[in-house]
Amino acid sequence: MSQTEHKKNVIIVGTGIAGSLIAKLLTDHVFDPEKGKMIHRADAKKTEKIRELSVLMLEAGLEAGIELDSVSSMTTYNEYIRTFYKEAAKVPNSPYPNLKPAPSPNILDMEKITPPFPDKKGYLVQFGPMPFASDAIRVGGGTTLHWLGTTPRMLPNDFRLTEKYGIEINKPDSSEKTSINWPIDYETLKPYYEMAEFEIGVSGDVSKQKYPISEKTEQYYGDYVFPMEEIPQSYMDHKIIHGLEGTSVTLNSEKIPLLMVPSPQGRNSIPNPKYGKTKIIKAETIQSGYRLVLDSSEKEEYKALGSVWNPYMGERCEGNASCVPICPVQAKYNALKTLKKALYKMNENENLVRHPYLEIKAQSVVYRLSVDHADQDKISKVHLRKYTSKDKTDFVEEVIDTSDAIVILAANAFENPKILLNSKYTVTENGKKVERTAANRSDQVGRNLMDHMVMLTWGLFPEPVYSYRGPGSTTNISSFRDGNFRSQFSAWISPLDNWGWSWPTFSPGSDLAEFLTDGNFGSKLREKLTYRLSRQVLFHFEIEQLPNPNNRVTINDQYMDALGIPRPVIHYELTEYEQKSMQQAKLASDQMFEKLGIKDFTKYTEQDKNTFMYDGVRYSYNGAGHIVGTHRMGSNPDDSVTNSYCKSWDHPNLYVVGAGNMTTLGTSNPTLTLSAFTIRSVESILTDLEKQFKN
Amino acid sequence: MIIINKILNVDDYYFDVFMSISEALTGFSVNELQSTGLTETYYTHILKSLEVATFIEFLTVSKNIFEKSSDPKQLEEAIASEIMKNTRMSDIAGHVITLWYLGTWEGAYINDLSYQEGLVWNLMNAHPPGAKQPGFKSWAIKPVNSNL
Repeated sequence: MSQTEHKKNVIIVGTGIAGSLIAKLLTDHVFDPEKGKMIHRADAKKTEKIRELSVLMLEAGLEAGIELDSVSSMTTYNEYIRTFYKEAAKVPNSPYPNLKPAPSPNILDMEKITPPFPDKKGYLVQFGPMPFASDAIRVGGGTTLHWLGTTPRMLPNDFRLTEKYGIEINKPDSSEKTSINWPIDYETLKPYYEMAEFEIGVSGDVSKQKYPISEKTEQYYGDYVFPMEEIPQSYMDHKIIHGLEGTSVTLNSEKIPLLMVPSPQGRNSIPNPKYGKTKIIKAETIQSGYRLVLDSSEKEEYKALGSVWNPYMGERCEGNASCVPICPVQAKYNALKTLKKALYKMNENENLVRHPYLEIKAQSVVYRLSVDHADQDKISKVHLRKYTSKDKTDFVEEVIDTSDAIVILAANAFENPKILLNSKYTVTENGKKVERTAANRSDQVGRNLMDHMVMLTWGLFPEPVYSYRGPGSTTNISSFRDGNFRSQFSAWISPLDNWGWSWPTFSPGSDLAEFLTDGNFGSKLREKLTYRLSRQVLFHFEIEQLPNPNNRVTINDQYMDALGIPRPVIHYELTEYEQKSMQQAKLASDQMFEKLGIKDFTKYTEQDKNTFMYDGVRYSYNGAGHIVGTHRMGSNPDDSVTNSYCKSWDHPNLYVVGAGNMTTLGTSNPTLTLSAFTIRSVESILTDLEKQFKN
Repeated sequence: MIIINKILNVDDYYFDVFMSISEALTGFSVNELQSTGLTETYYTHILKSLEVATFIEFLTVSKNIFEKSSDPKQLEEAIASEIMKNTRMSDIAGHVITLWYLGTWEGAYINDLSYQEGLVWNLMNAHPPGAKQPGFKSWAIKPVNSNL
């Protein structure tokens, strides 16, 4: 057992978007002992007295994945691309290393569950009754390496479903009801959305964002433009918009007008001149601590940020049409871009140099925290296992003393609760010894696991739309994202998918196989394939799942990984609220298909992995990769794991950040929202650091 | 420069037959097939994957079809009756077509290039996802050659 020597101010677990954002923002700030305040590096006078804060990041993925000098990062990333080319099943995790010592959930491992027997095939142990259908990847940069990049904000009512629509959920293991309002509202989060959109580099047209909300665009966005101009909508989008514009869909005898919106996206287009100069996210001192602002006093023009290894590559989306699982030119944002800004800072000569106060240790799997009950329940140690190679299971046990440091768990929504649940400590209450797990006074750690349930419908458009081109999705139908129906069934967002039927049917391979079975060859085969493939359209219905205390990540010492660390054990079910929504979404799909003259090829069968009967009709769905909710934020320590700054209620030096903090899911892709509140959490972290430096 | 490869114990003549029957089965010209840069790779891969006798039988059947067909219509009919109606032969034909269209044999890519050179993407006026990127905004308009 070895003890890490240097004392660090902050320990961050995970190099995904949450961890990288915090690392970048913290390393951009220093302590000014004269003022007794944390200040932005740009405002620091050249004085020797400035004190740097020292950050250690721990990453479970391979060493190669976090080496971000040009040569290493290009070599590693090109290897991801080569692997993607060779993999037969081009699923989200396919380009990235599959690690024996630090496995990742993979959708290829997910199987139908026959209770009470769990599906143990992959990394997750799934008790169901419904398999959880989404995956994540443990690699430098995290799952942003294979996210699609769609970045809508949440809507104001998403933050107050109890207040607005009277929805309440059960408390854990009880029939007593509790609220699912967030501890913050849209207005509070709005400036941080702008910061997240700056850091990610969002392309979009504010004036074209139409949502079914009472707030006008000027209220919702304010006087604002995205950093870059809209990503062009696909030829297919234009055909569908032309056919649906001005029409509506009838649900529950209510007419809902169809709003078709170009999606804001975290991929590079042309910088918008109206956005002005580039910005700095900077802490300002306020009475109670710090407030982050998007400072516009920079002189440099805003520029699209290209690939990590070469800034002159990927300055525009080039239409690779492979955003999931990998953008070959990194025109799509991934967290390595933010991590690189944490690792490399500009020196006096305006050269990028390696920042000496940020250390990243890879192949380091954090599995437990120690709590010092005698010292205010501080997190006193972080325990990790450092493995030596991707195929071997030997490791070195390491312990990091954190009694004077701030610990930030920034792993995904499976790993954060897994680590917390594995962090047991004993306290004495009324003379009795009681066992507790970290940050879990509310019993909400690991609960409320959510994902968008993606119901897909597909068919043939009456004329060629030339799908399989462009980013995965460039338009969404926003009409069903909010409305009074939410008191009865889930809201949803409907992205139009540019990649034909590749998701539900594995086109074009399945089309070829079908036509070959019918004995086609030569010019006839060509004609049939051309006809079929150029007309394929795919609609998504991404159904909001409510928090449910029974949908949870737990651990169980029967199920361990190769390093002897507990695997996430999942219990997961649907409720009628979501099932009814899929019925309504299918009705909406049928009406839209009819208006467009689309020949419906949608088929749901009993063999589908995620399938159910509702009102005598079968529905099937897929996961969206939106793994959220397992350490919810709230306004009350009794029913949430963290406060709105992602700070644990139970431990004075612990933050838990990431998608797991989401109180509810809404209908937007979660990465932008988690980035916004993660950025906001830095205000509280800076306040804690100020105290640490003064001690 | 013309490179003539003697491949295993099958002489050049069979390679030509392979290219001709590939043209007839896929509907892509020999020239288009050659533009993948993978013709010899595919040929040797099939030789390794099938019993040599089976492959020679397939090529002999193909050769006979070409010898007795004097126009495209006759050729199509001969392929339909002598290859596609014979389970053993049609199975190989399906494999050969899939190899050219998708770059896979029995579900696996031959190498990282075979994925990128799949001909199916040309049929839909697109490109293999993640390769041969057509450029910013190209997806917003009707593709070139879409009126063919």
